[in-house]
Amino acid sequence: MVGREYDLIGNPVGAVRSTFEKAMRAGEPPFLVDGKDWGATHSIPILDRTTLPHLQPNTLVRYRGMIQDMLGNEFYVGAHKDGGTWTTNKFTDVSHLPSEALSDSRIWERRLLYCVPVPGQNIWAETYSDFVTSPCLNNTSPHGEKRQREDCADMDIQASDQDFQDSTCMKKMRENMHSSQLCPKERISEGSTSNSDMVPNFDIKSLPCVVKIYDTPESELKLNDVIEFVGLLTFDPKLAADDDTFDELSDGLCEDALIHLPPSKVPRLHCIVHQKLTSHDFLSGSLILEPKSSMVKGVRESLLGHLTSVLGNDELAAHFMLLHLLSGVHTRVGLVAVGKLSLNLTCFNKEILTVFGNRIKAAVANLVPFTMCMPLTIDHLNSVSLAPSKDYNTNRLVPGLLQLTEGTHLTVDETQLQTGTLNSVGVENIRLLKILLESQKVDYDFKYYKMEMEADTQVLILSEGKSNILPADVILPFRPQPPRVSDCVDMEALKAWRCYLATFRSLQHSIDSEMQKRVEDDLVAARQANRSLGSSDFSRLLTMGRLVSMSFGETCLSLEHWQMVKELERLRCERSNQ
Amino acid sequence: MASDSSPANNHDGPSSPDDDSMSSPIGNTFSSPGNPRRRGRRSSVATPPSRRSSRFATPEPTPTPVTRTNRRRRRSPDPVTTPIAATPSSADEAPPSSDGGEFGHPDEAPPMFVWGTNISVQDVNAAILRFLRNFRGRDDASVEGKYMMAIHHVIEIQGDSLEVDAHHVFDYDNDLYNKMVRYPLEVLAIFDIVLMDMVSRINPLFEKHIQARIFNLKTSTTMRNLNPSDIEKMVSLKGMIIRCSSIIPEIREAMFRCLVCGYFSEPIVVDRGRISEPTTCGKQECLAKNSMTLVHNRCRFADKQVVRLQETPDEIPDGGTPHTVSLLMHDKLVDAGKPGDRVEVTGIYRAMTVRIGSSQRTVKSLFKTYIDCLHLKKTDKSRMNAEDPMEVENGASTNDEDITHDYEDKVEKLKELSRKPDIYERLTKSLAPNIWELDDVKKGLLCQLFGGSALTLQSGASFRGDINILLVGDPGTSKSQLLTYIHKLSPRGIYTSGRGSSAVGLTAYVAKDPESGETVLESGALVLSDKGICCIDEFDKMSENARSMLHEVMEQQTVSIAKAGIIASLNARTSVLACANPSGSRYNPRLSVIDNIHLPPTLLSRFDLIYLILDKADEQTDRRLAKHIVGLHFEDTENSEQDVIDLPTLTAYVSYARKNIHPELSDEAAEELTRGYVEMRRRGNFPGSSKKVITATPRQIESLIRLSEALARIRFSELVEKKDVVEAFRLLEVAMQQSATDHATGTIDMDLITTGVSASERMRRESLVSLTRSIIMEKMQIGGPSIRPLELLEELKKQSSGAEYHLSDLRNALSTLASEGFVVIHGDSVKRV
Repeated sequence: MVGREYDLIGNPVGAVRSTFEKAMRAGEPPFLVDGKDWGATHSIPILDRTTLPHLQPNTLVRYRGMIQDMLGNEFYVGAHKDGGTWTTNKFTDVSHLPSEALSDSRIWERRLLYCVPVPGQNIWAETYSDFVTSPCLNNTSPHGEKRQREDCADMDIQASDQDFQDSTCMKKMRENMHSSQLCPKERISEGSTSNSDMVPNFDIKSLPCVVKIYDTPESELKLNDVIEFVGLLTFDPKLAADDDTFDELSDGLCEDALIHLPPSKVPRLHCIVHQKLTSHDFLSGSLILEPKSSMVKGVRESLLGHLTSVLGNDELAAHFMLLHLLSGVHTRVGLVAVGKLSLNLTCFNKEILTVFGNRIKAAVANLVPFTMCMPLTIDHLNSVSLAPSKDYNTNRLVPGLLQLTEGTHLTVDETQLQTGTLNSVGVENIRLLKILLESQKVDYDFKYYKMEMEADTQVLILSEGKSNILPADVILPFRPQPPRVSDCVDMEALKAWRCYLATFRSLQHSIDSEMQKRVEDDLVAARQANRSLGSSDFSRLLTMGRLVSMSFGETCLSLEHWQMVKELERLRCERSNQ
Repeated sequence: MASDSSPANNHDGPSSPDDDSMSSPIGNTFSSPGNPRRRGRRSSVATPPSRRSSRFATPEPTPTPVTRTNRRRRRSPDPVTTPIAATPSSADEAPPSSDGGEFGHPDEAPPMFVWGTNISVQDVNAAILRFLRNFRGRDDASVEGKYMMAIHHVIEIQGDSLEVDAHHVFDYDNDLYNKMVRYPLEVLAIFDIVLMDMVSRINPLFEKHIQARIFNLKTSTTMRNLNPSDIEKMVSLKGMIIRCSSIIPEIREAMFRCLVCGYFSEPIVVDRGRISEPTTCGKQECLAKNSMTLVHNRCRFADKQVVRLQETPDEIPDGGTPHTVSLLMHDKLVDAGKPGDRVEVTGIYRAMTVRIGSSQRTVKSLFKTYIDCLHLKKTDKSRMNAEDPMEVENGASTNDEDITHDYEDKVEKLKELSRKPDIYERLTKSLAPNIWELDDVKKGLLCQLFGGSALTLQSGASFRGDINILLVGDPGTSKSQLLTYIHKLSPRGIYTSGRGSSAVGLTAYVAKDPESGETVLESGALVLSDKGICCIDEFDKMSENARSMLHEVMEQQTVSIAKAGIIASLNARTSVLACANPSGSRYNPRLSVIDNIHLPPTLLSRFDLIYLILDKADEQTDRRLAKHIVGLHFEDTENSEQDVIDLPTLTAYVSYARKNIHPELSDEAAEELTRGYVEMRRRGNFPGSSKKVITATPRQIESLIRLSEALARIRFSELVEKKDVVEAFRLLEVAMQQSATDHATGTIDMDLITTGVSASERMRRESLVSLTRSIIMEKMQIGGPSIRPLELLEELKKQSSGAEYHLSDLRNALSTLASEGFVVIHGDSVKRV
């Protein structure tokens, strides 16, 4: 381990202090860093496609990923007697023992998880390179860059980070070199299993990982959770060569998923510690926003201003966009997912789309760690598989576009939809999208049955008219003005906004009885006035109330915010009826 | 243990002295701990004879394929030699050799133990023998034991396996059961040997080897809970087959031939998964080296298949993916299940090391786990929502034998549920719990789900049992939600929207196959939901043509097709649940239902219940709705959903009731029905009224019967009681009061539904016509000057002080008169002719 200058066993307090001091040097205000580990885990090198070649096998690494599939349990010789002494195989991959050794052995169990980098993860949210490549960020402050370097200084891959650009170039070169090195090995493993087409088509950049979990209750790790695993990286070139030698008996039996995941492509990680990550963990800065502080209001105003300028001075749309970005399912009652607020911006003609479509997508991508975009075209719907499905030949869950982790933002561009015929795949996909919007659930296809998985995806729909295919919670005609030419985004502000969204999205919220009475009265009055209001409208209003209140960092709905909700709704209705 | 075996012995005593002589000493050994012989055996546990331990040492503790192969070989039917003679080197062959002695003099055999355990081979042997000989069913008084008969039967049909219910083993000898589950390899080997021995005693010429197939263990585990401690144990699992490999021929005995001299070797038995090829020719004259080659068609093979089993969806916890496990099937079990089958498997959980290379003695530290399958049972029957749960006609025909304990448990639970006094209320509450209020509508829907009994008279006339419901209501009253919910609940529901449905889409469609040119019949929604519920949303927006198709479906329950080349009548025994918006988007209480819905009265009368879900501008309801939603958003909502039956249970409840409960009218109920019907009809003629208002039609009495049958079904009652009929009347009245109220008189008026015009309205119109006629007679001469309707109206108002007449009423009356040829209307002037 490089960069571990302190001694945790001999001088634990010293180690803690030195980490803390380091964090202080990085410029964090001391009153905001309680409850953190000041980057202690950050000293462990991260495992990803670029760092893989430089990491030694059997060293401690860190991997951040989403649990995409669960490969079941694996039985292994946990301990065996080797000439009178017991030895263990825990935290190691396959080791070879003489078959006699099995006479005195214990069989233990571990869980296998197949993890992938979080789908839709934005570049800035990646762990070490917070190098924002957005074109509008031409004005990065020198201070921000300095910190970036410091953040990744601990990683041993950054041998010389005198020049950031230079090192990325180097990395690319090394990557190329490495892939050429890998080639013969791959040929061996693939040729032998004759399943090269079964190897998941890896993204060049993303690195899947098989994580082996020890002694953890099953309920702790769930599908689609984003987890940081700290553990041993094992990479055994022998293993790759082994695959062609399974004997005739295991022939039919080891149709395991693992066969299709050669260790040369998918590293194994023996997990020692794991931790569920929230979107907060993906922020590079360590800014903490206290609820109710005066800072919140400032950040809110500036974010709203930013959204307004992105949305061509459409302030109403910016307000709804803010609420939309803060929304998330917090309770489920029966079939109803409470807390979601999907937004449908209508009136997107060709012209507006070319100007604003990408602006909106880029702006969202800069604010939320995980974003996805989906063009809604007939061809796309007819060909793509949105829901994950089980492939029983490989015994793997084939990821679908809608296998997303909690809090992912999905932009659906309906403007590209033309008239045409949907085939059965298309119809199924439309149904899936509709269910996702209505109840935030995705049906995973297990061929013989469907399994409902709960989702929490913020969906933004851009469409010309009201989308009938995708029933959104809020429908708002978009009224932009031509945008100003240059919008420069301050890096610091961007960080503050991300932090703001991450913090307040998960805020607890309540309502006092007096306010509850007031809200009820208002709802009853609204319904008396307009009989067409239904429970869905009430739900929307209450969700908005909660979100508006949360956007100010408040944990309790106040009258002022409720009035704001009513005003927003009034403006929205006015605009819709025009 | 003692109590288990002793009654059997007592029972055994008188039946057959031969048996008695053998079983009682052994029984004593087993059951009385004070017996010195027994103790002697126990004491030797600590020091098992070295001969045995060394034999068992290699295969037993390591779950290597070695053990498996050994076992397989032992169990394989061997026509030439019994295993005793053929493989004297094998460990487990020791017991049978002593077996013969055991029958006569049990004491003389040296105590043998399964390696590493305190299981005495002789004890197990004796216990199995006792079980097979003496076990009888609970009320089985036959002379021979149940399994003795079974063995005879197996011999008779030349079978090769004996199915043994583990529950029987448990009941008879608890200890044997435990040993069997914990050490299945050893105990089953002994089991097979005992069986073989018995068979050869019964019929020495019977050459097949009979294997014991154990099933129905006391406890069944889930795939998720399989862990290393289960290895080498007998387990029972439920799951769904997802994959079957092709059949793999596995070599059992190999035959070699010398290439030089043509000498055939002795059959060589597979040892530890491999065959040792003879290096030299066995013939003394030849002795050629490396000349032996395998002769395929003289080798003996057995079938093998690898099947993958996956967890059933109900066992998967939140946020998990299903686990899978491999099953190894042999011989008869090959192809016993197909992908998609739900099965219950009994087998031995095995772990197998993976050897590196074929010659190396080293193994990987990883294990492959699989289940050596002993018994496979399809559990489709125990599924509550089986293939045709809405099946009502031949529901009783399913054979009871196959129904598993699990199923019985479930049924017992459902029955328990049905005995609760508030089951009706409870079910109502559980139906679409997130939909607000509408309790009576939900009750109606519940009746629809359960359905009445269909009846076919000998004359061929049939009465449908399906209840059709129409929901008419203001927008935003969660009609569609109710519909979707019912659609989900009903086992074979089809959901369509009236706007998008065409007549053929609903019924059936004749198409020409583009390739073969054949005409094919394609079923539409109604045919597809045969014995289910067809949910039609936006019924009012349906085209006339499509709606007219429903006439036949809703009363005759068939769809008739007469198209080129095909004349067919398809069954469409479906309940229709339709919902419609009033014509003017909001219900106009001043208009009749017909005017509001714009549906032909003929179709309307085919609905048993028509609910008007009116969104009354009632502050109280609004407030409750608001409170509910505010609570949903801001409070923890756990408490609001207490006592709600979950969806799977509800589905199971409904399908069980539909399948198994066929209520009949009790005399009391029939009387009540008659009385109520007469009462309903009489109600129209309230005192002092000369107006004829029909309050009920014969169709209503059919509806009432269906409803009361459904209500009895809800209680799992085979008899329709008086209270069911009363409730049915109440439901009908609730529905009718809303839908069939004549707004002019306030009475229930079925005319409103059947013709669209209420009796009192008709009366009013008639009196207006006659009044107008008399005025015209009075005021105008034939061929005289024309008069304007407004003037006529003035006159009308003058003559009939009090009654309100509108110009439109007058125009109606005038057009009636015009059709009679009494007047002529020219634009805005009326002329008498």
